[in-house]
Amino acid sequence: MANLIREIRFALTESIVRWTLLLAFMLSGFSLANGLYEVRQQESQLATLKSEAQKDQAYVLPQQGDAGGAAYYMLHLTYDPPSELAFAALGLRDELPWKHRVKMLALEGQIYEADQSNPELAYLGKLDFNYLVSILLPLLIIGLLYDLDARERRESRYELLCASSRRGKGVLFDRAFARVVLLFLVIIVPFLIALLISGAKFYSGFLVLAPVLLHALFWLVICRVVTSRKIEGITAAAILFGTWLVVTSLVPVVGKSAVERWVEVPNGGEILLTQRETVNDAWDLPKQATMSRFLEVHPEWRDYAGIEGSFEWKWYYAFQQVGDQQVEPMSTALSQRIAGRDARMGWVSALSPPLMVDRWLTKSAETDITQHMRYIACVRDFHAELRRFHYPMLFGREVYSVEAMDELPQFSPCVVQN
Amino acid sequence: MKDFVLVAKELCVERGGQRVLDDVSFNVGKGEVFALLGGNGAGKSTTLLTFLGFIAPSSGSVTLNGAVVHEHRATVHQQTAYLPESARLYPHLSARENLNYFLSLASVSCPDDEIEQALDAVSLAAEARSKRLSDYSKGMRQKVAIALAILRKTPVLLLDEPTSGLDPVAIDEFNAILIALAEKGTTILMVTHDVYGACHVARRVGLLQRGHMVGIFEASKNGEISAEEVHRIFVDHQRL
Repeated sequence: MANLIREIRFALTESIVRWTLLLAFMLSGFSLANGLYEVRQQESQLATLKSEAQKDQAYVLPQQGDAGGAAYYMLHLTYDPPSELAFAALGLRDELPWKHRVKMLALEGQIYEADQSNPELAYLGKLDFNYLVSILLPLLIIGLLYDLDARERRESRYELLCASSRRGKGVLFDRAFARVVLLFLVIIVPFLIALLISGAKFYSGFLVLAPVLLHALFWLVICRVVTSRKIEGITAAAILFGTWLVVTSLVPVVGKSAVERWVEVPNGGEILLTQRETVNDAWDLPKQATMSRFLEVHPEWRDYAGIEGSFEWKWYYAFQQVGDQQVEPMSTALSQRIAGRDARMGWVSALSPPLMVDRWLTKSAETDITQHMRYIACVRDFHAELRRFHYPMLFGREVYSVEAMDELPQFSPCVVQN
Repeated sequence: MKDFVLVAKELCVERGGQRVLDDVSFNVGKGEVFALLGGNGAGKSTTLLTFLGFIAPSSGSVTLNGAVVHEHRATVHQQTAYLPESARLYPHLSARENLNYFLSLASVSCPDDEIEQALDAVSLAAEARSKRLSDYSKGMRQKVAIALAILRKTPVLLLDEPTSGLDPVAIDEFNAILIALAEKGTTILMVTHDVYGACHVARRVGLLQRGHMVGIFEASKNGEISAEEVHRIFVDHQRL
């Protein structure tokens, strides 16, 4: 500990260290402020949407005279609220939808319809804490450590330093370690403040701090392996920067490309198109053909499935469901293969610590692809619940009334089971 | 048989496929100043670095108080203060800050007045002591390094061209410090080009030539080695 304190004091005497720490502190503060602002925006947007959805239901329902109209005109807000750690890792909330207003119509097409933000901005991503610690932190560490040994040799101090230290050459490890500790501290102090501001549980902060610490230690070891060799500082910098480029960019990009070729995923657009064609075609098909397909899945409605008029709501909703049935294998394949890709990217991350940190943080913050798929599954469950609620009235087993709609299912976000 | 503090026995060192030291043997007793003379590339600094454990012998051995140096490097570093040629220390720190830092590295605690005494001993101007070393001349920086070697209070001093950059007055003061330290029992091995300075302070002088020990000269009865004689031999060997 005495060695660490001595080297921390020494590090603080160097202006390059002080400037780097200040830069890291500002980047950390900015990234967290940005994350908190983004989460607040999403929460505020959700609060508005929830309030509007209630007003909408209160306005629309009394105007409906039958179960079909009530089911048709009602919009149901579904959403995936930001987790308590989302401010630290915005993850896929930047690019994938975290809210849908769904109707009782065919669902799959609604899932793959999404608001699109500016794609160029989405491509760039946001400077969040995750980006700082997975991508920029190694560069800051390299900047602080690349010249540590070379400078001592260049300035003819190496032997004096090592001969003066009780730890011999270990003094340079102590020095590097002290700088990494300082860097870690200036990055996590704003994080802890942000954690307090966000009201998140304090222990959940460890889910973030642990990977940051391990990542910093990984780069400390890499830097020591390179810089302790008798090479010029600029050579060490080139080797370390090259290593950074490989593990932060080359491995993830090549890995993602390979995984995408390896695990082909059905196109969401094709699912939407197929479902719409099925639904549209149903208008021209004999009604019994549609009902037969519907009854394969819902035999309990066989006694109520007779269609006498040219238009009946139960037939209309039956072909909406048949649309979902038609694309169900594609949707299942899409979910499974996305999960498969994600699992394989997990293997790729074994070769890329920055990617591993990114995955760890987005998982902890529930902003990764798994959480998105969980949300989509939650929307499907809710939609199925809506159908279970509406079908008895649509098929005439129960009588429709505005009062009966008091029991209309309301969406509640899925709780992650840890 | 006398116990020697520093012993080089049939020391051979190879670096980059070249033999830098070849069968070098000498020893330094407690409280003795031993000077190693030689031209550029003679192997003087390599010898010192071998005694510090930074270079392992290809064959032969170097020992400090009987301990094989490259096997007991930590122990050796505790017992040894090293003064490199043109020590630059840290230019962004003052003399006091540099001394405090290097002493804390060695876990040596020195009160401020002791540090001031050491700086007095090397005649570093009081008004310069709080200035950054980047404002110092080469000689002033060397004085700080010498003060550090004194403050370490180790039983062994290894000095590499210690008077490099010092003015004649400072060299005399430094030599006086060395003689006083030796009288108190400090064992000193110094390598230098300065034949006259070496002959003034050292009890024995070894002459290295292209990695070979050409000869070891003892001090005469009146205490000093004949600098003229050593100089003549040194120059003769340089011309060979």
